[in-house]
Amino acid sequence: MDLFNNLALGFATATSLENLFFCLIGVLLGTLIGVLPGIGATATIAMLLPITFQLEPVSSLIMLAGIYYGAQYGGSTTAILINMPGESSSAVTAIDGYQMARKGRAGAALAIAAIGSFFAGTVSTFLVAIFAPPLTQIALQFGAAEYFSLMVVGLVSSIALAHGSIVKALAMVALGLLLGLVGTDIYTGTPRFTLGIREYADGLNFVAVAVGVFGIAEILRNLENEKTRSVLMAKVSELMPSREDFKAMVGPVLRGTAIGSILGILPGGGAILAAFASYTVEKKVSKHPEEFGHGAVAGVAGPESANNAGAQTSFIPLLTLGIPANPVMALMIGAMIIQGIVPGPNVATEQPALFWGIIASMWIGNLMLVILNLPLIGLWVKLLTIPYYVLFPIIMAFCSIGVYSVNSNVYDLYAVAFFGLIGYALLKLRCEPAPLLLGFVLGPLLEENLRRAMILSRGDPATFVTRPISAALLFLAALVLVIVFLPSVKKKREVVFQEED
Amino acid sequence: MNSLKFDTANLICGLLLIATGLFFAYQSFELELGTAFRMGPGYFPFILACALILFGAIILIQSMRVDGGPIGALALRGMVFILPAPIFFGLTVRGLGFVPSIFVTALIASFASGRMKPLTALVLSAALTVFSVAVFSYGLGLPFRRFGPWLGY
Amino acid sequence: MKILNALIGATALAALSLFSASANAQGYPERQITMIVPFSAGGPTDTVARLVAESMSKDLGKQIVVENVGGAGGTLGAARVANAEADGYTVLLHHIGMATSASLYRKLPYDTLNAFDYVGLVTDVPMTLLARKDMPATDLKGLIEYAKANSDKVTVANAGIGAASHLCGMLFMSSIKTSLVTVPYKGTGPAMTDLLGGQVDIMCDQTTNTTKQIQGGTVKAYAVTSPARLGVLKDIPTVKEAGLPDMQVGIWHGLYTPKGTPKDAIDKLNKALKSALKNPNVTARFAELGTEPSSDSDATPAALKAKLEGEIARWKPVINAAGQYAD
Repeated sequence: MDLFNNLALGFATATSLENLFFCLIGVLLGTLIGVLPGIGATATIAMLLPITFQLEPVSSLIMLAGIYYGAQYGGSTTAILINMPGESSSAVTAIDGYQMARKGRAGAALAIAAIGSFFAGTVSTFLVAIFAPPLTQIALQFGAAEYFSLMVVGLVSSIALAHGSIVKALAMVALGLLLGLVGTDIYTGTPRFTLGIREYADGLNFVAVAVGVFGIAEILRNLENEKTRSVLMAKVSELMPSREDFKAMVGPVLRGTAIGSILGILPGGGAILAAFASYTVEKKVSKHPEEFGHGAVAGVAGPESANNAGAQTSFIPLLTLGIPANPVMALMIGAMIIQGIVPGPNVATEQPALFWGIIASMWIGNLMLVILNLPLIGLWVKLLTIPYYVLFPIIMAFCSIGVYSVNSNVYDLYAVAFFGLIGYALLKLRCEPAPLLLGFVLGPLLEENLRRAMILSRGDPATFVTRPISAALLFLAALVLVIVFLPSVKKKREVVFQEED
Repeated sequence: MNSLKFDTANLICGLLLIATGLFFAYQSFELELGTAFRMGPGYFPFILACALILFGAIILIQSMRVDGGPIGALALRGMVFILPAPIFFGLTVRGLGFVPSIFVTALIASFASGRMKPLTALVLSAALTVFSVAVFSYGLGLPFRRFGPWLGY
Repeated sequence: MKILNALIGATALAALSLFSASANAQGYPERQITMIVPFSAGGPTDTVARLVAESMSKDLGKQIVVENVGGAGGTLGAARVANAEADGYTVLLHHIGMATSASLYRKLPYDTLNAFDYVGLVTDVPMTLLARKDMPATDLKGLIEYAKANSDKVTVANAGIGAASHLCGMLFMSSIKTSLVTVPYKGTGPAMTDLLGGQVDIMCDQTTNTTKQIQGGTVKAYAVTSPARLGVLKDIPTVKEAGLPDMQVGIWHGLYTPKGTPKDAIDKLNKALKSALKNPNVTARFAELGTEPSSDSDATPAALKAKLEGEIARWKPVINAAGQYAD
């Protein structure tokens, strides 16, 4: 049994006292920094990367991986507690997680997120161990046409993110896509919509946009009518999920894990879509789709599992091809190179202890996170009892530091303020920020792959339907559209509308 | 007009979206549009901007049919103090340095709420500054200058 | 906002003039030095910077902190240093982009040749010319023939305008006097994925990114752009051996300070750089990346100045011929 021997080697490496220590430090640091509002995984890793350069290669990578999923975890915590996603994936968690928190169920939401993540992490770690090489082949089948079609599926599904007007959701997606295009056009080098500001040549910073439209808008909403209305949350009812909650989360966690594991493999955007896709699926299969957006358990459990599974499997292209699936993985590659390991197809055979050690440490790290976080839930929820007027100067300070630390770009800070204003306006006009954020993330990918596919096919649009994977994805997108606009479904949506009005 | 039921939120929303769409459309038009095979930098955003205008128009029309309720109060005081906070940090973090900059940033944000008392605000900002400097500057070694050239360092 | 900016700027200037006298480099260095890397953390240039900075810190006795100021093809970071105080406490580690951005950008916020002082060349990372695994050609001659015969079909990937792969791709096309279909990507990662998956035909990139792929046999390598064969890739001929001497090119890295830095500070930085480049720890890591540290004669202000001037002149026609600008 090769796999067994390999895993044994991996666990032997990962459970050495030193590596266990660094794994713990990694997840701890990641959680602590990630839980500060406005600071997500990318900002955390950017801050902590230099610290790891002094360590042994295996230890440093184990620690970095720990920081990565620790920060993701911490990011979900702030998304649930104060509606501040630090990463695109936790933006989805914020939708229903924050609503649960407002209803006094913050503890349950955090526990559901923790348990869902751990399950997904366990399953996908083993997937990485067993299938890493064959799965890589799937990723290589994806060319520009396939990516474009995949993004179309994502966009079509985003309609399900909305729990209000469909037209408004579509408008938000379009606006998000446009905002995503701000920056230099990679095909011609032309700067677009930058208003002549060179600092925006690489586009708007995701953290700045997310913090603005979600977090700052929420702060401003809480500051309305301060005198007449209490901004305190409902009383925290219970810390742990109830029996019904557990029942309600089994399906979403399983589906979320499956979706996340598959999409996480695809470099460039796959993992981003996982959480959004899972939310869509849950809303479609749910018997109570009207609960979504108002604190549905499945709306937290599914996306959180998908997000964590995707985070694990995004290591597959990194470890087997040496290709980063997302910006965080690109930072990992940098860390490996500094340590004298150039990631590539040979890492598994040349450095088996490192390769399998990292894989084993992923599972150990996830275990540590659950053990760490379940008892911490009480503490996090206590944070909610801090008066809001004390909380938001703290939030503003950390947001500023977090956004600035990513690239030392002060214009990102100006963007925070601008998008805070936009976010507040949208909130007042009853437009939802989640579809906007999805559009923002997908915008550049969509355009880039569309244009690339057209160049590669010499201008023949048939390329999208003659390539089997692409055709299948487009068919899926059409199917989703049909389901959305099917009369029966539409009727259900209208019921939701009326309830809202 | 009195006979018509207006939804103010949707009316403003539709108008804003149309205006934003026009802005992007105009900007894309100044870029090269290209052809479907060799799309220029303006091609894709132009289509999106048109879509945005269309959606805005639909929302505008809808605003005449349904009334979704009033917009409600605006957090004016919040906007006046919250939004400038990160801007101030951006303007001063390199010049004044990290310590004074984060202190004043927190202080500005504190005044967004009418419930905050000046003394509480000072204490809170000071505590926040100490924590941030300890964690980010000393703990994580972020390359921030603690005191900047404007203060003579 | 403009007024506010101006006000703050004026205050800053006043403060500066008051205190700059005391900040002069007497016993340089008296405090920590900031090394600006105009690219994001973890990239190949950042790697070079951190390795060198760590060793130089020991020599200077004061910490050199690496700060990543990425964006706009490295010009944001360079602009930051160009406008920094010329006291030796802000240095810039930039690569070939310092020379090419002078042509790629028609408007730069600084004057490349007059805004900086020079410390020395750091290293020169060679490039490798690659093609997808199932490319029929067996050697560079075959590849060129194939490219010429199918010039409207052959695709050349690059990691975005101004990237090493973009420069090398342009150089390849201008050397073989054939224009191929350029396919830009955002970063090396996705470009390499598509090359591995056979979605694009050709790419030319730094050894930092390609060595492992070549050794793993997932791509075909036709030539290295260095003057001599590389230790880690002994079987790959140089471009000169393979018959395309114009393609000799490297991603050279240099260390700069703002114009007007005291000579004493530059001398000390230069001395620290030279000893860093001989540090066995640094040379070993460089070797793994397929690059060599600059020799003593190259790690000098004069050599860097000459290199920068020569490279600006070399790339101008290539970039103008391609007609693609980054602004």
